[in-house]
Amino acid sequence: MFHSMGPGRWSPAERATAYVLLIALSLVLIVPFYFVVATSLRNSTALFEYPPKLIPDPLYFGNFERLLFHSEFPHWMLNTLFVATTVAALKVFIDSLAGYAFAKIDFRGRNGLFILMIAMLMVPFGAILIPLYKIARDLGITNTYLALILPPLANPLGIFLMRQFIVGLPKDLENAARLDGVSEFGIYWRIILPLVKPGLVVLAVIVFTEQYVSFLWPLVSVSDKSLTVMTVGVAGMRSFGGTNYGLWSAAAVMALVPITLLFFPLQRQFLARSISGALKQ
Amino acid sequence: MYLDDEGGLGVRWPVAEFGMVKLSQYVRARDTRQLTSQQHASLRHRYVLRRNLTGWAFILPAVIPFTLFLLIPAMMVFWWSTQEGSITGATRFVGLDNWAYVVSRSEVMTSVLNTVKFALMSVPLIVAAGLGVALLLQRVGRAGAVFRFAVYFPVLVPGVVAGLMWIFMTHPDFGLLSLASRFVGLTPPVWLGPGTALVLLAFVDVWRSVGYWAVFLLAGLMGLPRELYEAADLDGANAVRRFRYITLPQLRPILLFVVVVSTIWALQIFDTVWLMTRGGPGTSTVTMVFYVYMEALQRGEVGPAAAISVMLLAGILVLTAIQMRLLRGPKVS
Repeated sequence: MFHSMGPGRWSPAERATAYVLLIALSLVLIVPFYFVVATSLRNSTALFEYPPKLIPDPLYFGNFERLLFHSEFPHWMLNTLFVATTVAALKVFIDSLAGYAFAKIDFRGRNGLFILMIAMLMVPFGAILIPLYKIARDLGITNTYLALILPPLANPLGIFLMRQFIVGLPKDLENAARLDGVSEFGIYWRIILPLVKPGLVVLAVIVFTEQYVSFLWPLVSVSDKSLTVMTVGVAGMRSFGGTNYGLWSAAAVMALVPITLLFFPLQRQFLARSISGALKQ
Repeated sequence: MYLDDEGGLGVRWPVAEFGMVKLSQYVRARDTRQLTSQQHASLRHRYVLRRNLTGWAFILPAVIPFTLFLLIPAMMVFWWSTQEGSITGATRFVGLDNWAYVVSRSEVMTSVLNTVKFALMSVPLIVAAGLGVALLLQRVGRAGAVFRFAVYFPVLVPGVVAGLMWIFMTHPDFGLLSLASRFVGLTPPVWLGPGTALVLLAFVDVWRSVGYWAVFLLAGLMGLPRELYEAADLDGANAVRRFRYITLPQLRPILLFVVVVSTIWALQIFDTVWLMTRGGPGTSTVTMVFYVYMEALQRGEVGPAAAISVMLLAGILVLTAIQMRLLRGPKVS
């Protein structure tokens, strides 16, 4: 039995057309990946031969060998993973804490602060690049890991997301806990957090991905070679290293590996990232 | 506050926290008839104080970075646009001179023009293709999981990696697009030439973004009420009419949101520009954020860059305001 998610009936011809279109579209979207992988497995002479073989033969692993063992790439990737994980972990904690307060604690100034945070959501990063850089310099954190970790914590979207999740929880839950003498932090830690775990995962995925692909801020705030993150390193390969296309394509492939590995088990959370955009409303 | 079993009004809070109220005071307060209004007021005052402090303590770890790294910079941009000098050194006040300079300098206005051109090229395509893909995905249902994955995958690619991939694809010698055009007998065009570079950048952006919005719109489509469609079925409407008269009107607010947000993102394009063209050839792909980067951080001139930043901020605020106004407008019947 064929299940269609859509309302209404489609004739077999319409359905067939839909499939054809989807296949064609998927090809356009996916073919560049295949091409890059193929390029990374060719040596320099095989690269330029015409007509090119669809599957590289012989398979050349020298590019990957050079990338993984004789370049700075692993170091860059470690930096990115470290920063992305740290920011995600920190943000999940502080945003859920704040989200709980906004959702369940009626403190003075709550509404005003909330509106302020909504307003700041509209501010584009490109517009605050300059003052942000100046502040980072004045705080003395440029060229340290702190510059990569602290500013991303400022994004209020996470707080909204958490608040949305927590607002839906019944009030009796916390009141019962308060009656039993549980501290506010205890309520947060032992009752609320376990209940919003799915929300925490979505937030973690969103933040991690954001940091993984982040380019402009790391480019600007950190110039020390040891602090180079993957995006900046890979982009920099174009400036140095002449025109070693094999190496670059290997870098492109390896750059995608961690995020792909993360994507497979967590597909639903990634797709929720798209839907969380609705909360910006 | 709660009603205790003797009918009195009691105030109860975790004794372990803050220690602002002595236990004995609480015990004495169990029968409110014994409380003077003063004692009642002061107990309540303590309670509210404790509640406020807790609230603020909870939000502080989030509010501090927010203030330092978002609120303050957003306000300071305006101040910076009146300065002249370098970001590392001393600056001096020049008032509105920067703005006069900005409006007269052609490179600056070029960046604005390029950015707008870019947005005009990419956004309609992204929205139309996203909607189209969402509709298709809706039809194929569960079998379409692999398509959903394929469509969404480019979204995960960092801008610089996408740029690298498309540099390969458009390489005159071994690039897939060049090979394909040679295959059909045409000479491959110069993909990164003066007229075409911006178009290529727009295409790459569409490639990267379609999946994101397709999934978003798919969720929106699935949320639409079925009754209207069932009625249309009874009337024998075909797919096209269904779309035009039922789906589209209901999607309007969501579509508006998609248009505005993707425009806001398009206006801030940087990564692929930096990697693929560095603003070239000439200045044909210098976008606003790229200009800010070059001017303030490479050439050390803060003033004009800050002025552009303000323009960017203002443009986006205007767009958002338009969106909100259009959304609050007459309801779609």
